[in-house]
Amino acid sequence: MLRVIDLTTLTGAYAARLFAEQGHEVIRVESPEGDELRRLAPFLKEQRDLEHSAYHQFLNAGKKSVTLDVASREGQNLLLDLLRQADVLVANCPLPVDEELCQAINSKLVVTKIIDDAPELCAVARSGLMSLTGHPDRVPVTLGGHIPEMAVATYVAVATAAALLVRNSSGRGLIATVSVRESLESFIEQAMVEYSFSGTITERRGSKGAITAVSGALPCKDGHWVISQIHRAGRWSTFLDWVQDPELSADPSLAEEANQHKRRDFIMERLHAWAKRFTKTELVEEAQRLHFPASPVSTPLDLVNDPQLLARGFLTELDHPEFGTINFPHGAIASVLGKQLGAAPQLGEHNAEIFAALNYATSKIGRATAGK
Amino acid sequence: MPTDAQATLPPPLAAIRVLDFTHVLAGPFCTRLLADLGADVVRVESSKHPDHPWPSTFVSEDGRHASYLNTNRSKRSIAIDLKNEAGQKIAARLAAVSDVVIENFSAGVMARLELDYERLKATNLKLIYVSMSGYGHDGPRRNWTSMNMNLQGYSGLMMVTGAEGDPPTAISNSWNDYIGGLHACFAILQAIDQRRKSDQGRFIDLSQFECSAAMIGSLLLSSAVNRTVPSRRGNRSDRHAPQGVYACVGTDNWCSLCAETDDQWNALTRLIGQERWGSDRRFYTAADRLQNHDEIDQAISAWTKQYSSKEVEDRLRAVGISADRVRRINEVIDSADSGTAFSRMAERRVGTMLTTTLPFSLSSVTLPASRSAPSLGEHGVEVLREWLKCSEAEIAELKRREVLQ
Repeated sequence: MLRVIDLTTLTGAYAARLFAEQGHEVIRVESPEGDELRRLAPFLKEQRDLEHSAYHQFLNAGKKSVTLDVASREGQNLLLDLLRQADVLVANCPLPVDEELCQAINSKLVVTKIIDDAPELCAVARSGLMSLTGHPDRVPVTLGGHIPEMAVATYVAVATAAALLVRNSSGRGLIATVSVRESLESFIEQAMVEYSFSGTITERRGSKGAITAVSGALPCKDGHWVISQIHRAGRWSTFLDWVQDPELSADPSLAEEANQHKRRDFIMERLHAWAKRFTKTELVEEAQRLHFPASPVSTPLDLVNDPQLLARGFLTELDHPEFGTINFPHGAIASVLGKQLGAAPQLGEHNAEIFAALNYATSKIGRATAGK
Repeated sequence: MPTDAQATLPPPLAAIRVLDFTHVLAGPFCTRLLADLGADVVRVESSKHPDHPWPSTFVSEDGRHASYLNTNRSKRSIAIDLKNEAGQKIAARLAAVSDVVIENFSAGVMARLELDYERLKATNLKLIYVSMSGYGHDGPRRNWTSMNMNLQGYSGLMMVTGAEGDPPTAISNSWNDYIGGLHACFAILQAIDQRRKSDQGRFIDLSQFECSAAMIGSLLLSSAVNRTVPSRRGNRSDRHAPQGVYACVGTDNWCSLCAETDDQWNALTRLIGQERWGSDRRFYTAADRLQNHDEIDQAISAWTKQYSSKEVEDRLRAVGISADRVRRINEVIDSADSGTAFSRMAERRVGTMLTTTLPFSLSSVTLPASRSAPSLGEHGVEVLREWLKCSEAEIAELKRREVLQ
């Protein structure tokens, strides 16, 4: 088990959480006032305080919390003592401690620093990702739920895990530097390849996909569903047998993938009209029976009771002292390893435990953790 | 990112062998990350079903789509007929000397090929075996087929993106493949690390659906507790205002801005000719401005519509407001101040091409340079010699029986 010190914002907190899912000890170091994650809406039970942000409750699950005023001398000393016994420091820049100092006090420490942070909306606009998201006749949008920053954090996790491998074979600590800007840009790779090879500029397509010709979300009787028609020999005729649309059947040239691409809007319009007669379940079950990739479109609320997420332990039923019985999301790595994460810590919940282990007298802790 | 000038240490995955049965994008993206971290990745490919991550306009003389050249660079290829028992045996022998086996078939396919974890583990206890199907190998959806758009819809991405009342809103790229691939890469790096101590491999049954659902884990949790659907915020923030994306001169040109502080707000009111709002009670605090966001947006739009998106960006930044124009793909790639995630590499089929490099660097570590993607079966003989010490007679026999292609 490793000890990971987490001093990140939204671009890194999920990375530290992945280490908690792996079973490592993750200590979140916060200012005595509580950090930004605790202030992000939505709030559980609509309680707007430092303990009820959904982002704090999800992203800090399974972590410990200590409070430190890193700007004070006592706080700096406490942090250095924490780092002496740690394996990893993951933090957004500017780092609260000089990286050379980190390495001087602990030659085996992996320091992951996150650079090029900017306000999320602006960073997404700049990266090209926004030009790919939203409806063509409306304003381009960012991905909701802070998904772009969560995605950056998966790179932070990969970089940190890679650095740990180097440390463990060389015996020497090192610095991993993750660029938020480059991480976001890397996700336009698909559009980059098509543009650099053929000059095609991929644009936003609303509910539809850009890659597979017949692909996207369509309305149905009770919501929306998603169909993707993979192009493979014989599949189009099977598809038509199911859909039974006279206009689609009247044009045999549509069996060709290139023609499907040319007339993809027409095909999707026909499917739009057809699918409205059925429910999500009817459409998705029949499509899956015929081996066409199909799925429901879910809101986060729909996912709370999803049978697949429950069956594999991504979600488990938890008796929470405050929230009652809820299905708690443990995570994709926790699910693989059969682990369950504990609740997110209260602000400074582990001060006594962690600092006592560093042989700090209670009076000294009080000064450093209380802030100004 | 450029590599460290004083690099002295070998890459994280030096001497790690990856036997790669993946296809399309999520799996091949993951194994490219592994190759970039120094692993020896050998793709097991089929001559009957040549793979590409997505159909590209450019296809090389040896049948490789541009998407393949980018996604499968820096790997080797062996072409084996896995429908044939002798082919399965060769694959199993390669797996016996591999560190990592990775596949993203539907659940059950590798078992039918007699290449599932239980079988391969018998000859290689240290093997790390990664399955990364759409939904994982158990649960009621284990046999569902899925593609990127399905997961965008099912995992909630489409219904948390956009504004209240919008139809499902997608991103037009294979977003989930990247998210799944990154999670798989992380799990593999950790499994290799843990194997150093335990000397034991492990089966990693990753579900791409769960990776995508985790991206909105916070909203899932708020739904579980509050029993309501979280509101869709479009481009707005819950914490500060104004924030948004505004139309500029021309067709489909936009600029984003975030005013995170009162100072930035005051600067904005002066810039857009609404100085009187500086003392207006309706806009005093961020909370007030969030309440009256629509009215603010109208005034900002009236101002941005007079200028190009670049001018809007420059003028906002000049007064200390965070702003970025919405860059189209061509602009990201062609501008000097963006596209740094991509670099030009030598590619033997096309001369040079742009490719994605890792968006991180490791101090004092030399990461390998990018190499051209393989032709189908290009390294079959070389891999059989290196990994299995096959004799020339054995290789000739495998070729004669068309096991090796």
